[in-house]
Amino acid sequence: MTEEQNNSQDTDPQEDAGTSFDRGSTLSIFQSDRAEDFLALAFALAIAAGVYFLV
Amino acid sequence: MIYTKKHPALLIMGIIFIAFAYMADAGLLGGLIGYLKSSKYVGEMVAMGYAFGALGVIVGSWHMFGKHDEGNLDYYLSTIAGAFFILIVAMSIRWYLAPWIAVLSKAMGPVMGAKYLHQVMGLNYIVLGILAGIFIVNVPGIPKWAENGVRLSRLGLKTGVILLGTLYSLGELASLGKLSAVMVGFFVLGSVAMVLWLGKRRDIPNSMGGVLAAGMGVCGVSAAVATAPVVQAKAVEIAYTIGTILIWGVGCMFLFPIVGHLLDLGYIQFGAWAGTGILNSAQVAGAALAYQPDGIETLKVAEIFNITRVLFLPIIVLWLALWYVRREENAATEQVNVGKVIIEKFPIFVLGFILMFVLSSTGVFAPAQHYKGKYFDNDISADKMLTAEQMATLTAEAPKLQRSDRQDALASLIANRKIMTIDEETALRGVYNAKILSKDANKVLKSATKVVRHTAPMIGKFRQWITLLFAFGLTGLGMQITFSAMKQAGGQPLVIGGIVGTTKAVLSLIVILMFVKETI
Repeated sequence: MTEEQNNSQDTDPQEDAGTSFDRGSTLSIFQSDRAEDFLALAFALAIAAGVYFLV
Repeated sequence: MIYTKKHPALLIMGIIFIAFAYMADAGLLGGLIGYLKSSKYVGEMVAMGYAFGALGVIVGSWHMFGKHDEGNLDYYLSTIAGAFFILIVAMSIRWYLAPWIAVLSKAMGPVMGAKYLHQVMGLNYIVLGILAGIFIVNVPGIPKWAENGVRLSRLGLKTGVILLGTLYSLGELASLGKLSAVMVGFFVLGSVAMVLWLGKRRDIPNSMGGVLAAGMGVCGVSAAVATAPVVQAKAVEIAYTIGTILIWGVGCMFLFPIVGHLLDLGYIQFGAWAGTGILNSAQVAGAALAYQPDGIETLKVAEIFNITRVLFLPIIVLWLALWYVRREENAATEQVNVGKVIIEKFPIFVLGFILMFVLSSTGVFAPAQHYKGKYFDNDISADKMLTAEQMATLTAEAPKLQRSDRQDALASLIANRKIMTIDEETALRGVYNAKILSKDANKVLKSATKVVRHTAPMIGKFRQWITLLFAFGLTGLGMQITFSAMKQAGGQPLVIGGIVGTTKAVLSLIVILMFVKETI
C-alpha cells in the first residue's frame, strides 16, 4: 500500500460543486489523515493540560 | 495559489463576537437570555466572545490590510475566516436558535412521559447545526473567503472524539454486569456484520456501508465520525448515518414503551432492551423515562447498556479498517497483512480516545469510579446532614411508600441522617420523581440526594469543550453536503438501517425475555 493509498484525503465529496484546492482536499486542509490526527491529538492534549492545571 | 482573500468578513465577525461578549457581560442581553432560559451559556458567550473576537480582529486586520504571499502562512491563516464562519453559525444555533426551539416546544407541553417535542425529535444544536450547514451550502453557498477554513471541521470532530474518552472510566466498566457486556458485545458486532452484509447485497459503496455499520452498531455521531476516515467516508455518508439513527430512534421512543407495557417487562428488562435496541443516547433516555416516569431504575439500566456500547468503539474501528482494506484496496487477490493495516490505517485519534479513557480511569480528572463526571460520595459535613425537623417530616410521610426498597432507603436515611449507598440514592431519587410524598418531603429528599451526588469540575469543563468541538465540526460537516451528493447516496442507508435496527430490536427482546430477570 502506498502513502497515497493510505489516505482519505483523496475523497472529494464536492467534485461536482466545482470546488478545488491545490493542497489537501475539499474534506481537509491537511495532506494526510495522520497529520490531521496528530494535530487533533495535540489540541486534545493541550485542552486536557489546560483543564487539569486551570480548573 | 494565494488563499487569503482581501475581505473584511473576518474582521467584522471578530467585532461581532466582542460586541456580543460585552453585551452579555454587561447584562444588556438579560431580557433575551431570560426568555430563552439560556443563562447557563453566559459564561461561554463572554469567554469565547472576547477570546475569539480578539483573534478575529487581529487575523482579520491582516487579511484585510496585510501583504499575502504564497506559502504556509497564507495557507493556514486563511483558514481562520472559514473557521469563524462555522463558529458564528454554530454558536448562534447553540446560544439562541436551539434554546428558542426548546422554549416553543416546552410551551406545547410534554408529548411523551416527561419529554418535550424537541427532545423526542432530537432537535438539538447538533442536528440543527447539520441542517443549517446543508442549507448554507445549497442555498446561498459558502462564501469564497470561507471555503478554505470550512475544511477544518473534521479536525474539530476528531479532537472532540479524543476528549470523549475523558467522560468514561474503567471503574465504571468493571462495575457493569457480565450480561450487559456479553449482550451488548453480541448485538454491536452482530449489527456491524449485518450492515456490511446487507450493504454488499444492496450494492452500496463500501465507505457508506462502513460508516453506517459503525453508526448502527455502536452509536450515532461519535462512531460515525471515528470510523469515517478509516473507510474514506464522505460528509454526506456521515450525515446519512446520523439521520438514519435519529429517524430510527424517534420511532423506537414511541414503540418501545408500548411494546414494553404490552409484554409487562420489568424495569431492568426494559432498560436493557432500550439500551441495546435504541442507538442515540438521548433517545434511550427518552424511552426509559417514558416507560418509567415515576423512577429512574429503568433509566439507570439503559445508561449502563449505553456506555458499554461506546467502549466497543476502538474494536469496531479496527475491524472496519481491516474490512475496508480487504474490500477496497486488496480486492481479495492479495493476503492482507493485519499488523501492517493496523500500523498504517488505525486512526491515531482513536488511540487518543483510548489514552484519555485510561487517564480518566486513573482518577486524574475525577474519582476513578465516575460516570460522565458524576460520582457518589457521602463523606459530608454535619451541617449538610438532615436536621431534626427534616427527619420528622420524612418520618411522618414514610407510610406513604409501598415498595420495600424505597421504604428501606428512607428508613436508612432517617436513621443515618444521610444517604449511605448509591442504591439508596437511586431508590430515593425514584421517590421524588414519582411525587409520592408532599412538596416539603420531596424538597428534603432532593437536597439529601444532592449533597451526596457530586460533579467533577474538570469533567464538566471537558463536556463543554466536547460540545463546542462537535457543534463546530458538525455544522462544518453540514456545509460539505450538497443536494447532488445526497441524491447520489439515495435511500438505501435508511432501508438497511431499518432492517438491521428492527432485527436487533426483535432479537434483543427475545434474549431479554429469555435471560434477563430482575437482576443483572
